[in-house]
Amino acid sequence: MKIQHFLGGIENLGPVSVEKRVFVEPWEAQLFAVHTTMMGTGIWAWPDLRVLAESMNPLDYFKYRYYIKWLGGMCHFLVSKNYISEKELEEKTKYYLDNPEAKQPNAGNGDITEKVINYFYTGANPYRDVAVNPIFKVGDTVRVKDMPPVVHTRLPGYLRNKVGVVETVYKGAYLYADNVPTDGICTAQPVYLIKFKTRDLWNDIPDKGDVLYNDCFEVYLEAA
Amino acid sequence: MSDDHDHDHHHHLRESESYYAARTKALESLFREKGLIGTDTVDRVINFFEHEMGPFNGAKVVAKAWTDPAFKGRLLADANKAIAELGMRDGIEGENLKVVENKPGTHNVVCCTLCSCWPWPLLGLPPYWFKDPVFRARVVREPRGVLSDFGVTLPDDHKIEIWDSSAQVRYFVIPERPAGTEGWTEEKLAALVSTEAMQGLGLATA
Repeated sequence: MKIQHFLGGIENLGPVSVEKRVFVEPWEAQLFAVHTTMMGTGIWAWPDLRVLAESMNPLDYFKYRYYIKWLGGMCHFLVSKNYISEKELEEKTKYYLDNPEAKQPNAGNGDITEKVINYFYTGANPYRDVAVNPIFKVGDTVRVKDMPPVVHTRLPGYLRNKVGVVETVYKGAYLYADNVPTDGICTAQPVYLIKFKTRDLWNDIPDKGDVLYNDCFEVYLEAA
Repeated sequence: MSDDHDHDHHHHLRESESYYAARTKALESLFREKGLIGTDTVDRVINFFEHEMGPFNGAKVVAKAWTDPAFKGRLLADANKAIAELGMRDGIEGENLKVVENKPGTHNVVCCTLCSCWPWPLLGLPPYWFKDPVFRARVVREPRGVLSDFGVTLPDDHKIEIWDSSAQVRYFVIPERPAGTEGWTEEKLAALVSTEAMQGLGLATA
């Protein structure tokens, strides 16, 4: 069990940060741009990053800022896939630590920039226009299965074993990228918008009539 | 003792902003040497999210929805199609957009408890708060407490609808149009709409 799969509903964490900036240190923007380059050129995809974040020590997961986790994940991935070596990464890091004003080498592949920008506009649509026969219909009461623990899931932990109602049956099918181990979502399948009463999720909260919506892959649901 | 000291020193060094900055520079520089990135890619990407894909897109959509009920209807029915009418392109993290509307008595809040799913074509990149584990942990169970941290208090009879985006749809909120803005231009209205308001963690105010 990974706490990263069960964040929703944890109590006693204190006030939330209302920091409205995207990047709180200049290096974060540079790192983000390298990340999108990796995305746009097919070096990696979101699931690779998510798997690494979810395999972290859970206390470290709370401790480190978002992009500090990305930095660790990106370096680990690039070394393990032999895009770069640990040795050259350490040497270069030391060089820039000793020479913080040093410029970037004037080298590179000029075609990549446009490729990355095009990728922002084309995206990677997980929708598949295939004929599927959804098991459930609008208004059906469904229970979220307690799926076996797995490296990566798209099922928020607090919804396990909870009962909701199908609000929307999305047209066609969706799949999750198939380059990481998941709990059965790498096959194109129906996705449903499920409506839960938040009092059914946590029976000790005040009843304000609030609801929570979540999109569930069909494999996560059973009739209730 | 000296080993411990060295270890602490090493550990401390590896957790400093100057270390993160140097390591990031090292990554870009290795990418350049290996032909995995262009010399202008980093600047172009940062510029892209400052000027082409950012919350100014969402604010424009909200202003149009406030002033044109027929457009709002089309936006709620098929957001990807409707934003194209405004010459806006969808794309990454927004291939399947869904727009929901705040109304008297109903307030929508968007989150992603598993990671940081966010409607990029309309809002650009997610701010720090959205990605913070404390926000993600608390907002689904105690949305009013989280709203209060953002300085938002809803009337007592308001119900909250929370959208935890974990699959393939990215959610976007049309905030309520503030009173006293009748006859305003779309441009003037768009300036009232914050990123937070377009995910339900703020209100539009005149």
